[in-house]
Amino acid sequence: MTQPVHGLRPWLLQRVSALYLAGFALYLAGHFLLQPRHGFETWQAWLGHPLMRLAGSGFILALVVHSWIGIRDIILDYAAGAGWRLLLLTLVGLVLAGCGLWALRVLLLAVG
Amino acid sequence: MYNQRPAPVFLDLFRIRFPAGAITSIAHRAAGVLLFLALPFLVYLLDLSLQGPEGFARAGTLLQSWWMRPVSVVLVWSLLHHLLAGVRFLLIDVDVGAHLQPARASARVVNILGIALALAYAGWIV
Repeated sequence: MTQPVHGLRPWLLQRVSALYLAGFALYLAGHFLLQPRHGFETWQAWLGHPLMRLAGSGFILALVVHSWIGIRDIILDYAAGAGWRLLLLTLVGLVLAGCGLWALRVLLLAVG
Repeated sequence: MYNQRPAPVFLDLFRIRFPAGAITSIAHRAAGVLLFLALPFLVYLLDLSLQGPEGFARAGTLLQSWWMRPVSVVLVWSLLHHLLAGVRFLLIDVDVGAHLQPARASARVVNILGIALALAYAGWIV
């Protein structure tokens, strides 16, 4: 960790993850416009499809990375003081890690 | 380290100028925070909906409850505005519409389109 402080990597990660999230959001919007009503079986079959597990895991990962960088930037902009920052960043990190692992568990283990 | 200088003296929120692009930008942040706050509940809904037919039905009932309808309109606006403003920022990053006039015009389009589509969604679920 002898690198100088810089923000190019998070800046780029934010944009790459944004592209994936936007593409996935368009796919979801198209899906729900074509098929607004689901029953449990079609819902489970759709989310349990191997391609969906793969693309959905990528979506969860991209969402966690994207949220972390975005909320982190907001905290660094508005929260003054090392103590506040550490507290808020820790809370946000725990929430995001928890949500990400929970969603992955649901998508990869609980379906079908 | 963060800035130790005193805050600007002339920071009257009613007198500083707030052009369309500034509204797009601050709303993009606010929408991102709202989406982040909704994450645990959304993952809970996904979990519930996949716990068999009863869970699926309960998730549907939750989504259609009286308190969830206004919340879902706010979340749909958040998602739409965040997505539209994000696409606008990405285009400006690659120098599309980066000059003042087109940037102002696209900011107005994003601000209005987000609200209009969210209102259309609200009309659809009522």
